[in-house]
Parts: sequence; C-alpha cells; structure tokens
Amino acid sequence: MGKKIIVDPITRIEGHLRIEVEVENGRVKNAWSSGQMFRGIEVMLQGRDPRDAQHFVQRSCGVCTYVHALSSVRAVEDACNIEIPENARIIRNLLHGAQYQHDHIVHFYHLHALDWVDIVSALSADPVKTSKLSENVSGRPEKSDYFKAVQTRLKTFVDSGQLGPFNNAYWGHPAYKLPAEANLMAASHYLEAIKLQAKAARMHAIFGGKNPHPQSLVVGGVTSVKDLTAERIDEFAGIWKETKAFVDEVYVPDLLAVASFYKDWAGIGGNNNTYLAYGDFPQQGVNDDMLLPGGILMGDLNPKPVDTRLITEDVTRAWYEKGSAKHPYKGETKPIQGEVEYNTDDKYTWLKAPRYDGRSAEVGPLARVLVAYTSGVKEVKTLVDHALKTLGVDTKALFSTLGRTAARGLETIVVGNAMEGWINKLKSNIASGNKKTYQPWKMPDKGKGFGLNDVPRGALGHWIEIDGGKIKNYQYVVPSTWNLGPRDNKDQKGPVENSLIGTPIADPKQPLEILRTVHSYDPCIACAVHVIDPHTNEIYKVRVI
Amino acid sequence: MNKNITILGVGNILYRDDGVGIRVVEKLQMEYEFSDNVSIVDGGVLGVNLLGVISNAGRLIVVDTVLNHGEPGDLHRLDHHEIPNRILAKNSLHQVDLIEALTLCNALDHVPRTTIIGIEPKDMETLGDELSPEIKAKLDQLTEKVLEEVSRLGGRYSMIRQTK
Repeated sequence: MGKKIIVDPITRIEGHLRIEVEVENGRVKNAWSSGQMFRGIEVMLQGRDPRDAQHFVQRSCGVCTYVHALSSVRAVEDACNIEIPENARIIRNLLHGAQYQHDHIVHFYHLHALDWVDIVSALSADPVKTSKLSENVSGRPEKSDYFKAVQTRLKTFVDSGQLGPFNNAYWGHPAYKLPAEANLMAASHYLEAIKLQAKAARMHAIFGGKNPHPQSLVVGGVTSVKDLTAERIDEFAGIWKETKAFVDEVYVPDLLAVASFYKDWAGIGGNNNTYLAYGDFPQQGVNDDMLLPGGILMGDLNPKPVDTRLITEDVTRAWYEKGSAKHPYKGETKPIQGEVEYNTDDKYTWLKAPRYDGRSAEVGPLARVLVAYTSGVKEVKTLVDHALKTLGVDTKALFSTLGRTAARGLETIVVGNAMEGWINKLKSNIASGNKKTYQPWKMPDKGKGFGLNDVPRGALGHWIEIDGGKIKNYQYVVPSTWNLGPRDNKDQKGPVENSLIGTPIADPKQPLEILRTVHSYDPCIACAVHVIDPHTNEIYKVRVI
Repeated sequence: MNKNITILGVGNILYRDDGVGIRVVEKLQMEYEFSDNVSIVDGGVLGVNLLGVISNAGRLIVVDTVLNHGEPGDLHRLDHHEIPNRILAKNSLHQVDLIEALTLCNALDHVPRTTIIGIEPKDMETLGDELSPEIKAKLDQLTEKVLEEVSRLGGRYSMIRQTK
C-alpha cells in the first residue's frame, strides 16, 4: 500500500472538490475524486413554471450563469417545438462566445497558471532580460521599466506577508521549471489579464441586459431588442476586438512559451479513451452547422454522432439511494438519508457517474478539439498542427494535461474568430430591417425535451419533462460531473481519476503535480455557500447535507 | 457627491439565508428609485467575475451574510479597514470569493472604499429559496441599514411602492 495524499478542497473557484491519491514509488497508483457538496436543485424545480427554470439553474454556479440559462431555455424550446429566429441564435452565440473568451483567459491566468509559474522566482528575474524574452515570444513586448514596476508590485505583495492573489505554499517546488524571466513575464500578464477580464465581462452586459446574471434570454429567443442598434453592436465589437487581440498576442503565445518548458507533461494526465462533445455555436437553424461539431470518440479517432439516448447516470459509488443507471429523463435525485460516510471502497462522493454507452467520457476543450480535429474542421486542424510543430511534439501529445490546457487556448482563437462573422451578420440583419428576436409560442400541456450546450468547461445538458404546463422532472448533467465523477458499477474510473494515474509526485507533502492535472480540467463543483467571518478568515462554511 | 455608489448583493438564493444579500437587492430594485450616482448589482455567487463591477465602483456597499459569533438576525456593519484584506489559503489552495476579488482589486490599482452591511444567518445549508423566518423578519431593517449608507455617501432615493 502506498502513501495517501488528500487534497481538499482543490478548486480555485466556487465549489468543493476533494482528491485522494495513493502514491507508490513516486507515482500516483490510484485516485478518487469526490464532490463534497450535494446539489439538489432539480428537486426544487419540480412543479414550477418551465420558463422559471433558467432563473434557478443559473444560480447553481458562480461562473456559469449564462450557460445554464441557455441550456435551460433550449430544453424548454425543444419540449415545446419552438424555432428561434436567426437574430436570437446569433445573439446567443455572441453571448456564449464572449463567455468562452472570458472564461478561458481567466482559467489560464488565474486558475491554472500558478501551477506552472513560480511567482516568488519572478522576484529574482532580470527586467532587461525579461524585456528581451517578451520581444522574442510575446505579441506584446514590453520595456524593462514595465517589468521592473511589476516586480516592485509583486515584492510589495510578498513583503506584506500576504501574497495576495499569489498565495500558494508551493513556491520553489522542484516541479517549477520556468526561468525567472519567464515567471516574471507570465506574472505581468496575470495582472494584465485581470484588467482584461473585467472588460471582457462587459460584453455580456451589452446583450445580456445585465451581468453577472443575464436576463435577456427567454424561451423563444432573446429580449435584447433595445440593444439592437449599430451603436451597441459596435460597443460589443470594440471589446471583442480588444479581447481577441489579447488572446492572439498574449494568451496563446504565453501558453506555447510555458508549454515549451513542460513538454514532459505531454505524456502525463491523459489515460482517457472516450471523448464526448455535444458541439456548439450553431450557424444555421436551431442546432445545425456547428462551429465546434459534436461527436463521440470511443477509443479510436473516428468520431461518431452523439446519441443522447445512450447517456446514463450511475449512482453505485455516490451518496444516493441504490438504483440502476438511468437516463436523465428518468433521472432521480434521492440522497441517502442521515450522515454519509466517505469510503473509497464504497460510496465517496455527491457526484453521480455519467456514462455514454456505459463508458466514462472526458468532456471539455480537449474533447471538443479532438472531435473537431478528427472531423476535419480545417481551422482547428491548422491551429493544432501549428502548435504541435512549434513545440516539436506529435499528435499523441494532445492526450495529456498539456494537451488539455493547449486545446483550451486554441479553441478560444477559433470561437473568437467566428464572433466577427456573427457581429457582421447581426449588423446587416438590423440594417436591412430584420429585427426579429423572438418567436411567440404557447405552453403545451405535456412535453419532453433537452437542451445541449458545449460550454467552456464541456458538455452540458438539461432534460425537462412538462406535465400540466409545469415541470414534472428536471435533470441536468454538467461538465464537472462527467469529468470529476466517481467509479461506477463496473468499477470504471471517472476521467480525472484515470488522468491522475501515473502522475509523478516529487514531494507528497506538496502535491503540485496533482493540481496541474486536476486544474487542467477547469473543475467546478457548483454551489458555493459563502459567508464572511472577520475573526477567523474562514470563508467557506460548507457542510454536506 | 460620490460618483457611482454601487450596492452589491451577493449570495446564493438556493440556500435559504445565503440569499439574503440578493433579497435586499431585489427589494431595493422593486421598491425604490435612486439618484443616477447609485447602481445596484445582483452579484449572485460570483467571485472573480465581479472584478469589473467592483473596480468600476466609486464607493462599494456589499450586502451579504456575515458570521460574527452573534445570534441569527444580528446586523453588522464592517467598514473598509475592518474587512480582512487577504486571500485565503486552504491547504495552500485558494478559492476566489468576494473578499479575494476585493484584494485582487489591489492589482487593478483601484480599490473602492467598501462597507459591508451584513446579517448573521440562521440556515444556509438547507436547499430552498425562502429565507428563514428570523432573517425574513429582519429584511426591512437590513434594507434600512443599506439605505442609511446610501444617504451617508450622498446618494438619494425615494420609495416607489409601499412595503408590506
């Protein structure tokens, strides 16, 4: 029996995730991923008006408000046979595209970069050399004075004894490989990205009615009618342009520069052979001509169309009452009554285990990029091949922690590029007098439908059954459940559990390597309950119900 | 007169009293009209995504639950210097929450002067969209505290509907 390491909590944002690994001879031998919070929002939705579901589901996560609302209205539209107008589709794509730009930048710099970038090392960097480095690798080179100023600011954080945003006990860990100058350059972009993301979030405010909880989505379309002016669209386009420039000139060059020092991670953190993408950004009709196509890869490189009937959730190893694996239409949320016991030999999580045709499947940027690449999407292929060539690695490198992190950056480019076309199309529609954004409809007595959405974190699906004009059953299967879910009745591990197997651990007391792989999935276990405690600095008072 | 006084309610309406900050914001939006220098934001459970809102504020009033070793329903007012300026480290990891977002604002060179108006919660663990009766009974008082703060900062308001 190897040494056990428990990292709890592991998510840098909203949520509560616990990872337990067993280490033997310096490598992870076994792993368990546990969601420590019960999410039972589905139960709350029963008996409510289907139109209200989006307002509840968008509260279930602090990051993904819009995408849950979008899946929810799509589910109701499917159940009620509503075809939304073209402008509504474009505006939804623009909002969703804005979410990709924002979230992926935040993920790379604020949730993941510190797994690779040693901030304390940046203090010893030579600003002149850093300036030269930035001229070589960055699309936005800076002078040495700029880096000197960043260094001074970092020093203030460090000297105050509060590293502020850079609080992490792992500084100086042997797994950090970047030269001091690269650390300083990345740290300066961390700060730039904070400013940029605040700006990028405003894109949502333009067509979303308001941010952070967009209100312009309705079943049947969008209500952004008063924002359909050339002026508002130009305002959106201005922020889009600035964000895209950051992605092209800073984010992706940084990604490749950092990756070039961590090529060993192109062989760590893979281990999944099933990749699921629902696809998204329809460019025709309701869900036709997806910019990022849907598909399932099962152990080979031949994507097949997704058949949602093959999706089930298994609760064998989760804290729910015993039952067979069920399709979301038949899904139940029946938590075990009383105290639950964390037992890796039995039940150990609140997350159900989603399965596609009985297999655990990875979702998210890597799944989307692999499906697009193997489906022959030209732009994706060009970008991926270019990145592989730049790093001097082959396609096998994609199936890894590094591949996952790179895929996220590359799809940010693809979506960002496509947004320009949507902006122009919306403008020309408005100019030609086509301002329709809403399709009137009537609530049926009975109906069944689902809304799929491939959100920044991965494949998201909401399933609804309507009876008597009210919600009879509502289930959603979220990306983090696919990726972070537990074993199932066949003892088949979830994707993150698989990915951790074989990970080298230099120091079991500082399992930085585990964080790299887990964070590469952009984990989010929804529903933060937060309070402020001025005395103990204790923020999350979360107890399992 | 202060420019852009931002009232930011935060919390999760799905977990009973955790949503009290949002309930106050809803009440302010429905029952009051404010002068142009006041904006009201429903921040939900967003942490880092609120950076834009926070950094654009001239003065910030946060409405949230506050644990201060008191009884459920106790009202609290934490002024700028009393707010812990820190980022949490838990097992050397951190989660980005509101306080962290405020601290991150240091990096943006703009930290609005902030006051937190809060209430000691009773139940934030049960799933449900209703406040517990003790907290509901204090909602008017809590709202009043926020309005006092608005006046103090030079914002104006008037009631547009009679409260129950």
